[in-house]
Amino acid sequence: MSQSGATVSQECITAYNDLKLNKKHKYVIYKLSDDNKQIVVDSTGGGDEDYEDFRQKLITAKTKSKSGAVGKGPRYAVYDFEYQLKSGEGIRNKITFIAWSPDDAGVMAKMVYASSKEALKRALTGVATELQANDPDDIEFETVIKTVSKGTAA
Amino acid sequence: MSQQPLTTSVQPTETYGGDEVSALVLDPGYCSTRAGYAGEEMPRQVIPSFYGHIDGRDIFGDEVIVPRAGFEVRNYMNRDSVVEDWDAATKIWEHLLLKRLQPERPTPPNKNGLNIGDDGDVAMGDGDNNDENMVDNLEKPLAESPLLMTEAPWNSAKAREKAIEISMETWGCPAFWLSRTPVVASFAAGKATALVVDVGGANASVTAVHDGMVLKRSIQKSPIAGLWLSNQIRTMWEQNEPKVDLVPTFMVENKKPVEAGAPADARLRTFPFPIADSFRAFEEERLLTEFKESVVEVWRGPGRYMAPGNEDYARSQPGRVFEMPDGSNQMWREQRYKVSEGMWDETAAYASAGADEEGRVSKGQTILSLIKASLEGVDIDLRSNLIANIVVTGSTTLLNGFNDRLNMELAAMYPGLKIKVHAAGLTSERRFGAWIGGSILSSLGTFHQMWISKKEYDENGPGIVEKRCK
Ligand SMILES: Nc1ncnc2c1ncn2[C@@H]1O[C@H](COP(=O)(O)OP(=O)(O)OP(=O)(O)O)[C@@H](O)[C@H]1O
Ligand SMILES: [Mg+2]
Repeated sequence: MSQSGATVSQECITAYNDLKLNKKHKYVIYKLSDDNKQIVVDSTGGGDEDYEDFRQKLITAKTKSKSGAVGKGPRYAVYDFEYQLKSGEGIRNKITFIAWSPDDAGVMAKMVYASSKEALKRALTGVATELQANDPDDIEFETVIKTVSKGTAA
Repeated sequence: MSQQPLTTSVQPTETYGGDEVSALVLDPGYCSTRAGYAGEEMPRQVIPSFYGHIDGRDIFGDEVIVPRAGFEVRNYMNRDSVVEDWDAATKIWEHLLLKRLQPERPTPPNKNGLNIGDDGDVAMGDGDNNDENMVDNLEKPLAESPLLMTEAPWNSAKAREKAIEISMETWGCPAFWLSRTPVVASFAAGKATALVVDVGGANASVTAVHDGMVLKRSIQKSPIAGLWLSNQIRTMWEQNEPKVDLVPTFMVENKKPVEAGAPADARLRTFPFPIADSFRAFEEERLLTEFKESVVEVWRGPGRYMAPGNEDYARSQPGRVFEMPDGSNQMWREQRYKVSEGMWDETAAYASAGADEEGRVSKGQTILSLIKASLEGVDIDLRSNLIANIVVTGSTTLLNGFNDRLNMELAAMYPGLKIKVHAAGLTSERRFGAWIGGSILSSLGTFHQMWISKKEYDENGPGIVEKRCK
């Protein structure tokens, strides 16, 4: 269990396995349920969507506070990156975990996500890398692919 | 110590809580101990971890530390910020949690043995109102209140067990949790993974937190923190031309204004009893903190302060006037940078005599060395994520220029890596980072599953804390 006590719903694992084993999705975005008790699937994507669609979804994610006020929302996500190696040795895939916690989200929301993250990370086996991102620049494709590939991407 | 009001732009739009039971949050540090209710954004009570000892009894709080005969000032922690004197710790925590916070409890206050003494002190353990007595009277004074406590990441297993034992057995808490300060400070910054740089009073430390867990091999600490800086200032004052006398406020009867650099024209108080060194040192510390707040600054670059030309440049910049309690005053220019430079560059430190026996700073003790060593202690794959998520906390980081310098030095140390320093803009958030994180964590709706319950404690004994609070 995570430090917050939040748990992971089964659908999170199912969606992840669809991404990892069946290549059904390119990404899965997760969120905390409105009562903050469970991590659930927010959305999945793939097909003709590209990375920028995924990024926009994170940037525009919302969270409702207890009092009902809507503000920027943190999220978790896994993204199955595919890139060409600079060396020309072919293509690599890396499943990456992203903890998205925008600096301008509410302190309460950020805290709930920070203290619940471990539960989800543990449930998703086989994640190759992870990053923690706090502003839209952090999740620019160029920045992310550089980190994910450790500079080996073409 | 006053609390800083939150400006509206940062005021949370909600209260964190929602649960009926209000847990208590206790954050003990070497300089001060902070206490309040879970779900609130600031601790309600902040008192010195120093307390008075007089005629065989202990008294607590800022306002009781005044000159008296046979009065000594002590601290319940040792210089590692680990509890040293458990009797005193228990009493000071009871003073905070029971008397000052007064959570709802079964026994009415007029029968609970916490009546205030005639002189306004809380006289615990004197006369017929001895400490056992007090707790007995109360039966289980915190039977309604879950308690979250914070601890230094290097706290000993024995001290952890002792903390849960007191909470469960002496106070009867229904639930208990122990959080390491870097973990809750990083949560308060909204991060599960962070490199936490905490520069407090007795200690500066750097700790890597990954997914809400302290990475043990990353823990680094050194005494180059607030008290060390106080000694640097003392030395600087001694070596100044003319020498600056450190006369704390309580010594001054009255003063007349004098020109800058002129000797003080003040009448000092005399006492018909000797003033203990420990009391005097405590009072000096207050004055030194004021000097840090209003005069001391961290050299922001370019380069280090000792680099050729920088000192001359600093001297040409506008200075700050500081008036001592006795009215003497002078302008501080380049010295106000120089005095803090040893934190970053060991060659710049004053060899201070006084309380700091080590005197000189060794290379491994600077903030930057701590960061370097901490990162070297973690898996290489985690490092870039940590450097991109640095959380700065502790009151000494409030020094003007601290964050700018940290950024500059890190950029030089790790070229090409993305470096991001998160330092709360509000001074209160930086002073109380760990308390605030603990407050939010323990007020989360799901947290009730995390607490170590009384039942679990009864079944497993104090060893449960090692198993559960990892
Ligand atoms: N505005 C300020 N600028 C610089 N230093 C300050 C400021 N306010 C307080 N200090 C110094 O900060 C120190 C106390 O820091 P803090 O409250 O973080 O320590 P603590 O948590 O009680 O101690 P520790 O972490 O060492 O156990 C004192 O030495 C004090 O002089
Ligand atoms: Mg501290």
